[in-house]
Amino acid sequence: MTRLHPFTLLALAAALVALAWLLPAPWGAAGTLAVAAVLALFSGAGLTPGASPGSTGTGMSPGWRPGLVVLRTAVVTAAPFWLFLFILHDVSTTVALGLRITTMVASVVWLVAVLAPARLVEAMVAAGWRAGTAYLFAATLSAVPVLKARAQRIVEAQRCRGLSPRGGLGPRVRALRALALPLILSALHEVDERALALESRGLVPGARRTPLAPPPDRGAERAVRWALVALCVAALVWRLA
Amino acid sequence: MSVRLLVLVPVAAAISLALSAVVDAVALPLFLDTTGTILATALAGPGVGIATGVVTSAVNTLRNPTFWPFVVVQIIVALYAWAAARAGLFRSFRTAIPAGLGLGVIASVTSTPISYLVFGCTTTGGIALTTALGRALGLSPLGACFFGSFVSDFGDKAVTFALVTSVLHALPRRTAARFPWALRAIGAA
Repeated sequence: MTRLHPFTLLALAAALVALAWLLPAPWGAAGTLAVAAVLALFSGAGLTPGASPGSTGTGMSPGWRPGLVVLRTAVVTAAPFWLFLFILHDVSTTVALGLRITTMVASVVWLVAVLAPARLVEAMVAAGWRAGTAYLFAATLSAVPVLKARAQRIVEAQRCRGLSPRGGLGPRVRALRALALPLILSALHEVDERALALESRGLVPGARRTPLAPPPDRGAERAVRWALVALCVAALVWRLA
Repeated sequence: MSVRLLVLVPVAAAISLALSAVVDAVALPLFLDTTGTILATALAGPGVGIATGVVTSAVNTLRNPTFWPFVVVQIIVALYAWAAARAGLFRSFRTAIPAGLGLGVIASVTSTPISYLVFGCTTTGGIALTTALGRALGLSPLGACFFGSFVSDFGDKAVTFALVTSVLHALPRRTAARFPWALRAIGAA
């Protein structure tokens, strides 16, 4: 499944979520959830526990064991929603909304497991998207863990200097400022450095890049994507009629 | 969009997402997930701010899929921050905090229909519990949902505006001058 074109994977996940909300509850959402669960189970890729988003796709292996990890992640992520729905709503609303939300969660968890960000960037560039657009997502995915690690170092350094993030509201807000300010300012100071690095690599506005290894986009996959769009439009028309 | 502004988008989006580590450290009931959007808008205008908001939502969706429908809120936050920057409301805490409170009201009004229709007001544990409190106080389902969103957004956006104001004033003038809107946002141009 990880060999499918990134756009096909995105289309599958988006169509499942759209159909979960478009089709009548609870059976429509139950059907989409069943499909999402089967996809997760046979995804052929596992999630690395604790890994950051976008870096979770790991080694491909046949069979359903890695898929169990994907499915369990989806169930654990969706479980709190069922609890809160049960507190706030009656049983029929809980089931209807719970199935829809679980479909959404399972589809995205599956997508994260099977879609490598680098392949998505290659596919976007090959499809004619500007390299800058592809850069936005790839750069954010790589910057988040770096900044989170830096935030943790700042927290530890400020604690060594005697900063206490405990007590009343005033001390906590002051501690927040003392922790957040160095993080944000250091990140902003990197903007020029990163811009220089990109310019030196030829990423200037309007420039077209050549993808090194574009994922193959077969005719059958393109047909599946159009069929999914047609299915969603048909479901929308049916519901509005 | 120049390369510097292109680079600012992922940096600002990553700031929004990395601040959760700081919030965890001080144990305050805040999100600060619009900090990067507001900061990017105050530095470089609405286009960069909207791009930051969309990228923040897209990347956050990979962690928690329920974030994507709220991308609309990020766009409205960027437009509001642009108006605030044009008016120079980041020049002091006295002007920034009321502006942030105003954004809290607008953000909760915007997010309530999404939260109510799509998620039944269960987007986060805090919002679900304050919504339950609203129901216990006799509010209608939609009213209780607004109550839940308002309680979480009102203070969060005021703190976010105050934090962005601190950053803009702490930036060296030479660095600030490299971004087209920074000096105007703090009333220095």
